[in-house]
Amino acid sequence: MSSILFIPLLPLIGFLINGLSFPKLSNPVAGIIGTIPPLAAFALSLQLFLQFDGNTQIVPLLDWISVGELSIPIAFQIDQLSLLMLLIITGVGTLIHVYSSAYMSHDEGFGKFFAFLNLFVFFMLLLVMGSGFVTLFIGWEGVGLCSYLLIGFWNKKNSYGDAARKAFIMNRIGDLGFLIGIFLLFQEFGTATYQEVFEAIKAGNGSNLGLIAFCLFIGAMGKSAQIPLFTWLPDAMAGPTPVSALIHAATMVTAGIYMVIRANVLFEMSPEVLHFVGWIGLATALLGAAIGLFQNDIKKVLAYSTVSQLGYMFMGLGASAYTASFFHVMTHAFFKALLFLGAGSVIHAMSDEQDIRKMGGLKSQLPITYITFLLGTIAIAGIPPFAGFFSKDEILAHLYHHDIVMWALAIVGSALTSFYMFRVFIVTFHGDFRGTQHQADHLHESPIAMTLPLIVLAVLSVIGGIINLPAFVGGNEFLAHWLNPILPEGSHEALEVHFASLEFLAPLAAAFIPAIFAIQLYGSKKAVPAADAEISGIQKIIYDKFYIDEAYNFLFVKPIQFLSQFFYSFIDFLIIDLLVESTGKFVKSSSNELRKLQSGNIGFYIFMMVAAIAIILAWTLKSWIF
Amino acid sequence: MTPVIALSLFGIINLFLGFTFKRQSLQVVTLLFIICSMALTAMDWNHEYLWFGDMMKTNNLSINFSLIIQLAGLLVVAFSNGFGKDEVYTQPAEYYAILLFSLVGALLMVSFQNLIMLFVGLEILSVAMYVLTGSDKRNLRSNEAALKYFLMGSFATGFLLFGIALVYGSTRSLYISGILYNLSHTAPESLPSFLYAGIILMGIGLLFKISAAPFHFWTPDVYEGAPTIFTMFMSTVVKTAGFAAIYHILDVTFGGFQKNWIITVYFITIITLILGNISAAYQQSAKRMLAFSSISHAGYMLLTVCANQPSTSSNILYYSLAYTLATAVSFAVLMVVAEYQTGRTEKPENFDALNGLAKNNPSLAFAFTVALLSLAGIPLTAGFWGKFFVFTDMFNKNLTYPIIIAVLMSAVGIYYYFKGIISVYFNSGEIEKIETSFLFKIALWSACIGTLVLGIYPTLLKSIF
Repeated sequence: MSSILFIPLLPLIGFLINGLSFPKLSNPVAGIIGTIPPLAAFALSLQLFLQFDGNTQIVPLLDWISVGELSIPIAFQIDQLSLLMLLIITGVGTLIHVYSSAYMSHDEGFGKFFAFLNLFVFFMLLLVMGSGFVTLFIGWEGVGLCSYLLIGFWNKKNSYGDAARKAFIMNRIGDLGFLIGIFLLFQEFGTATYQEVFEAIKAGNGSNLGLIAFCLFIGAMGKSAQIPLFTWLPDAMAGPTPVSALIHAATMVTAGIYMVIRANVLFEMSPEVLHFVGWIGLATALLGAAIGLFQNDIKKVLAYSTVSQLGYMFMGLGASAYTASFFHVMTHAFFKALLFLGAGSVIHAMSDEQDIRKMGGLKSQLPITYITFLLGTIAIAGIPPFAGFFSKDEILAHLYHHDIVMWALAIVGSALTSFYMFRVFIVTFHGDFRGTQHQADHLHESPIAMTLPLIVLAVLSVIGGIINLPAFVGGNEFLAHWLNPILPEGSHEALEVHFASLEFLAPLAAAFIPAIFAIQLYGSKKAVPAADAEISGIQKIIYDKFYIDEAYNFLFVKPIQFLSQFFYSFIDFLIIDLLVESTGKFVKSSSNELRKLQSGNIGFYIFMMVAAIAIILAWTLKSWIF
Repeated sequence: MTPVIALSLFGIINLFLGFTFKRQSLQVVTLLFIICSMALTAMDWNHEYLWFGDMMKTNNLSINFSLIIQLAGLLVVAFSNGFGKDEVYTQPAEYYAILLFSLVGALLMVSFQNLIMLFVGLEILSVAMYVLTGSDKRNLRSNEAALKYFLMGSFATGFLLFGIALVYGSTRSLYISGILYNLSHTAPESLPSFLYAGIILMGIGLLFKISAAPFHFWTPDVYEGAPTIFTMFMSTVVKTAGFAAIYHILDVTFGGFQKNWIITVYFITIITLILGNISAAYQQSAKRMLAFSSISHAGYMLLTVCANQPSTSSNILYYSLAYTLATAVSFAVLMVVAEYQTGRTEKPENFDALNGLAKNNPSLAFAFTVALLSLAGIPLTAGFWGKFFVFTDMFNKNLTYPIIIAVLMSAVGIYYYFKGIISVYFNSGEIEKIETSFLFKIALWSACIGTLVLGIYPTLLKSIF
C-alpha cells in the first residue's frame, strides 16, 4: 500500500524541491535530487512487478469530490497493464534523467529543467496508475502542461514558444473530445471508474457506447499525434532532446494507446469506431513515413517516424491486436528513446547543429553513438532478430488476417521507414565530414552519463523482442499471457505463420530492400541530400510536409481569425461591451446612491433599525392585529 | 466545558503577566494558551456532555464551532505582532486578556442550552468588542466607532432580551429542551401570539451581531474605525459565533415555526446580499470594502439557514472556516501595508495604498490574492465550495430566485475583490520590502495553504463536519 503511494509521490517531491529552490541549488545537487525519484520509483515498481500475484489491486487514496449523487474517488489501480507502463515510464525516465544531467549541464535553467521532468514523471504515473477516467484525465492534462513547459523550455526564442503553444492548443482540441467522452460516461453510468464502467458494459448496460468510444479516441488522436491532430509533434522538437526522447517518443505520446487498451471493453463494443481507429492509424503511418523520407533535420526525421510508428500501434488496436500494439509501445519506447538520445549526442558533439547535410563521417569520432544508433536503426527498420521486428511483425500478422488491404499498405509504410532511417544513419555517420572547421575541431564522444543510457537502451532494443517471442520461433509469448486477464476473451489467438509464406516474407523484404537501397544511394555513391533551393517537384512537396500546416492555416486559422475579428469589432464591441459596461455603470451608480445611506449619523441608523423592526413585527403578527 | 474555564483563567493570568513579560513573549504565551484550550476542546470529541446545571451542552457540532472560533483567535493573535512597539499607548497584556475573555463568550454562544447562557455569552463577547474597538484611544474615529457600536449593540441586546422574555412567557422555560417540550405539548392554536414576536425579536438581536441588513449600519463605520487587528477579530469570531447561535435558535429550536419566520429571514437575506455587494462596489477604502464584504457573506450564509437542510450545520461550518481563513489573511496583509503606508500616503487603507505590492513583497501579494479569490468564490479555493454547498442547499429546497440573486451578487463581488488584486499586481507603486515577524509568516502561509487545500479537496473536512 504505502510503497504504491510512494511511486508517484517521489517525483512530486523531487519537483517541489527542485522547483522551489531553483536557482539556489548547484547543478550537480539539482541533478542528483532530480534523478533519484524516478530511480527509486523504478525500484519500487520493479518490486511490485515481481510480487504481483495476478489480482488487480485498488488502492483508494481519497474521496475527492462527492456532491449529491456524483462521487469522484481518487484511487490507484495496480494491474498487469499499469505495472508494465510503470516500468517503462520509470525505467526509461531514469535513463533520460541520467542523460540529461550531462546534456543540460551548460544550461542556466538546469534545476528548472529537472523540476519539470520530475513533474512530468509524476503526472505520467498518475495517468497510468489512476483507477478511473478522471484520474487519467488529471494526469493527461498534467503531462500536456509539462510538455508545453518543456517544448518552450528555451523560451527566449519566439518560434519555440510558438511550437509550445501549438502543441498545447492541438492537445486541447483532443482533450475537449476526451472530456465530452468522460461526461457521457458519467451520464450513462454515473461513474467513471474503470471497474464499474466496464462491468456495466459487460453486463450489457449503457447506450451510446460508440459515441463515447469515439469521443475518447479524439482525445487519443490529440495526445498521440494522429491525423488530423499530428502537426504539433514535429514542431515539439523545439524542446531539448531528452524531452523529445522521454515525452515525445517513449511515454506521453503513447498515452492514447494506453487509454484505448485500458478501455478495450468499451472499444470492443463499438466495432465501427475500432475500424475508424485502424484506418486513421494507417493513414497517419503512411503520411508520417512519407514526410520522413526527405527531411534533413535529424530530429524532424525521428519525429515523423514517431508519428508513423504511433500510427502502426493504432492500426494494431483497430485490428483488436491489443497485445501486439502494447508490445510495439514497449519496443518503440526502447529504440525511439535510443535514437533520440543518439541524435542528442550527435547534436551535442556538433555544437547544436541538427541538419544532417552538414554532418557526415561521424562514426570515427563518436564510436559509441555510432554503434548504438545503428542498432536502433536496425530495430526500427524491422530487421530480425531485433526488437522492432517482432513487435511490428506481430501487428502486421494480425492485419493480414484482419484486412489484407490495410496489411499491404502497412508493408509499404514499413518499407518507407526502413529507407528513411538508413538514409539518416548513413548521411550522418558515413561519408565525409561536411561541417565547418570549428565544428570539426570540437567533435567529441559524449561523456559517460550520456553514453551509458545509450548502451542500456541499445541492449534493450536488441533483445527487447524476447518478452513476447512468438511460439513459432520457440518463444513463450510472455506478454500475451501476462496481459491476457485484462483483454477481451479470445483477442489473442496464436497466429500460425509459416516461414515460406507471403505473410512472413513481405515484411522482411520491406525491411531489407529499402535499407540496401539507401545504403547504396547515400553510402556507396556518397549522395548528399540537396540544399533547400535545389529541391523540386514531388520531393519538394514532401519536404514541405505536403503543406499540411499551410492548409490548416488556410482552412482553420484564417477563418477563425476572421471570425474573431468580426466578433470583436461587431458583437463584442457593439453588443457585449455596451451591455456589460452599462450593467457596470448601473451597479456603480446604485452603489453611489446606496453609499449615501451610510451617513454616519447614528440617529438615522437607529431609526432605520427600529422602522425595520416595526415593519417585520407588523408583518409577522398581521393575523392577530388585523 | 473545560476550555471555558481554562480560557477565563488564562485571561486572568495574562493580565498579571503583563507586569513582567515583554509584548512579544506575551504573544507567544497567548498563542500557547489558545492552543492548549483547543486541545481541551478537541478532547471531548464524540462525547456529549451537559454542564453548569444543564445550561450548556457540548457535542461534535459545538466542538467544531469552538475549534473554528479558537482558530480564528489563534490567527488574530499570531497576526497581532505584539501590538507594535508603542510602549505608552498600547497595552498588549490587557488586549490579549480581553481577546481570551471574548473567546469565552463566543464558546458560550455555540454551546448554550439555556437562553440566559446565550445572553451572557453574547454580552461577554460584545462588551469585550466595544472596548477593543475603542482601544486606539488617541484616534477620534476609533472612539466614535466604539461609541456607535456600543449604542447600537445595546439596542440590539435589548431586543434579544425582550425576545427571550416573550419566549419565556409563552413557553414557561428558558431551557431549549424545556421550550421544545412545551411547544410540542401545546396545540399551535393556543400558543400566544407574542411567542412569534419573541422569536422574531431574538432573531433580530442575533442578526444584528452578524450584520444582516437592515441592522448592518454599524458595520462599515465600526470596522473602519477599529484598529485593523480587532476588525479581523470581529469579522471572524463574532460572525462564526453569531451564526452558530442563529442556527441553534432558528433552525434547531424554532425550526418547527419556520413558516412564521422564513419570509422575514428571506427578505433580510436578499436585502443583505444586495446592499452588501452593491455598496462594496463603490468603496475606495479596502478596509471598508471588506466591511461590506463581511455583510454580503452574512447574506450567503443566511441562505443555508433559510434552506434548513440536514446539511445546513456542516455548510455553515465549512463556510465559516473558509471565510475566517480568507478574511484573516486579507485583513492581515491590509494591516501591514497600512502600517507601512502610514505617513507615506494620505489614506493608507485605500486600494491605492496597495499599488505595486507584488514587486517587492511577492508572498504578501500572493496570500492576499488567494484570500480575495476565496472571498470571491473562485474555484480551487475554499470559498468556492462554501458558496457551492450553500447554493446546493437552496437548490434542494427549490428556492431558485434567491440563488439567482446570490449568483448575480457574486458576480458583483468579483468586481470589488479583483480591484484589490489589480492594485497589487497591475498598478505601479513603490512599496519596499515589508518585514514581518516569523509568527506572522507562519499564520499567513497556514491560512493560505488551508484555503487552497480546502479548495482542492473539500471532502477532507466535509466528512468531519
